[in-house]
Amino acid sequence: MRTIQARGIVKGSVAGPALVCRKAFSFLGDVDMDTGVIIAKGHEHAGESIAGRVLIYPETKGSSGGCLVLMVLAKQQRQPAALVLMKEADPNIVEGAIVAGVAVVCSTQEDLLALVPSGAAVTVDGTAGTISF
Amino acid sequence: MNLTAEERHMLDGQRGPVLAKALDYLVQFGEAFGAERFVDVIYAHYPAEMSIYRGNVEDAVEYAGTGARVCIPTTSSTLACDLDQWDKLGCPRALYDLQAQVVDAHRRMGVLGTYTCTPQWLGFVPPKGSHIISVESSAIVYFNSVLGARTNRGGIFTRYSAVTGKYPLMGYLLDAGRRGTHLFKLHLTPDDLKHESDYSALGFHVGALVGSEVPVLDGLPRSTPTQLLALSAALATSGSVTLFHAPGNTAEADSVEQAFAGASPKATYTVTRKDLQAAYDKLTTVGAGETIDFVTLGCPHATLEQLRHVADWFAAQGKRVHADVRLWVCTNRMTRQAGQWEGIVPRIEAAGGFVVSDCCPVESHMRISTCHEHGLPTPQIRAMVTDSTKMARYVGDLIGCKTALRNRDDCLRAAVDGRA
Repeated sequence: MRTIQARGIVKGSVAGPALVCRKAFSFLGDVDMDTGVIIAKGHEHAGESIAGRVLIYPETKGSSGGCLVLMVLAKQQRQPAALVLMKEADPNIVEGAIVAGVAVVCSTQEDLLALVPSGAAVTVDGTAGTISF
Repeated sequence: MNLTAEERHMLDGQRGPVLAKALDYLVQFGEAFGAERFVDVIYAHYPAEMSIYRGNVEDAVEYAGTGARVCIPTTSSTLACDLDQWDKLGCPRALYDLQAQVVDAHRRMGVLGTYTCTPQWLGFVPPKGSHIISVESSAIVYFNSVLGARTNRGGIFTRYSAVTGKYPLMGYLLDAGRRGTHLFKLHLTPDDLKHESDYSALGFHVGALVGSEVPVLDGLPRSTPTQLLALSAALATSGSVTLFHAPGNTAEADSVEQAFAGASPKATYTVTRKDLQAAYDKLTTVGAGETIDFVTLGCPHATLEQLRHVADWFAAQGKRVHADVRLWVCTNRMTRQAGQWEGIVPRIEAAGGFVVSDCCPVESHMRISTCHEHGLPTPQIRAMVTDSTKMARYVGDLIGCKTALRNRDDCLRAAVDGRA
């Protein structure tokens, strides 16, 4: 097992299968709010759900409605298990994650996009700021 | 974070579970970004536009039901319909009903029903150095830059700051976050900056180059509040600017040197008329003389003075809006009522225009995502003429029509002719 250090942003220790997205992710527009299924046309994981997954991606993009999408998903128990950002976490998505109870780490010391395959079992500790797989 | 005794009491639940939870969220938020302590915020501008999304109306109603109340002056940002004229403007009853629930929830919480992107035109002008929290990107840039109040880009947590009166000391609240990063030397004549649309084009050009950093505009002539708001809105359209400095116009830096606080610019650019023209060209996707069917003024929401200009133009020309064109002049409800009293609104309406409040074309039943949400047919708008780069930029994606960026008088001419 390997452990990579990152910056802990939102607390919580969770495990789940990885979902690795190579491009910046927009919660508003890329995800169906009822199901958590990725609906963005041409997305590498179109048709897959982010619910219960450890979402590993470079950074968040798009509208400030993203925080709301996380909150709506959480009300239906369809939120991701954790968010792992290669770059800085933006305040908007952090707000959504805090209310939704989704652990967040960011600014990982290594580029996980190349290291972790989608589906791999990953543990995230939002307080310690670590990712283990 | 280091908390005061008062804040600790709030967090411990001694002032009730609603405030305890709100402050707990803000502590987590502050700690995520390394804030050492809280500051007291004196004003909040509160989000309302997201109420068109499923889940958010229920959330607003549920939160009001907890008994939460704002403890500082709190204005509200735009809704997705005009509360008085929704029917006349083609908004479906279902969307109005949804918005009415949000209005009721806000009232119960003590949020003022201003429903505008320009609360500063209603007298909400926080003083230099004060800490506030605001949504609405154009207002955020105006508050920070023109007034020198301090705010980050607010989101849903604006709610928790409004009920606790607290915000973590971080980002643009700190002196270190407010230094200039990029220098723009303006080689522009007064003629180049005659219209508000010229300021909008300038902001659009600068915002695209500076992204989310802090531009310093050297050589901006003394400008009016509406010109500076046009600039602010555009900076946050092509970029995600939160603060700019323009010595002689903005609150904090009297000179370029002061704006950079001793540091050197990361990059220096020269801006000429050509750059402004490029913004006009980029946002104009209909050919000159082509048929247009929509004209929007008042992005951001117009002042009483701007409404008067429109009324005076129609009076001077003695013309009416073309039968196939809709003219929306957007403002807030209080300014519309003042315009009614002044006789300005009746004159615009007599010429065939609408003076719309609480919303705008992008925040309305014409937004494609809103249509999908409510099972409505999408709007069949062919081309919109506007004097705002923000409106032009967003209608392309959100309403799916062609656009033309023109100065205000040319927009009105297009409304009369039905051609760009």
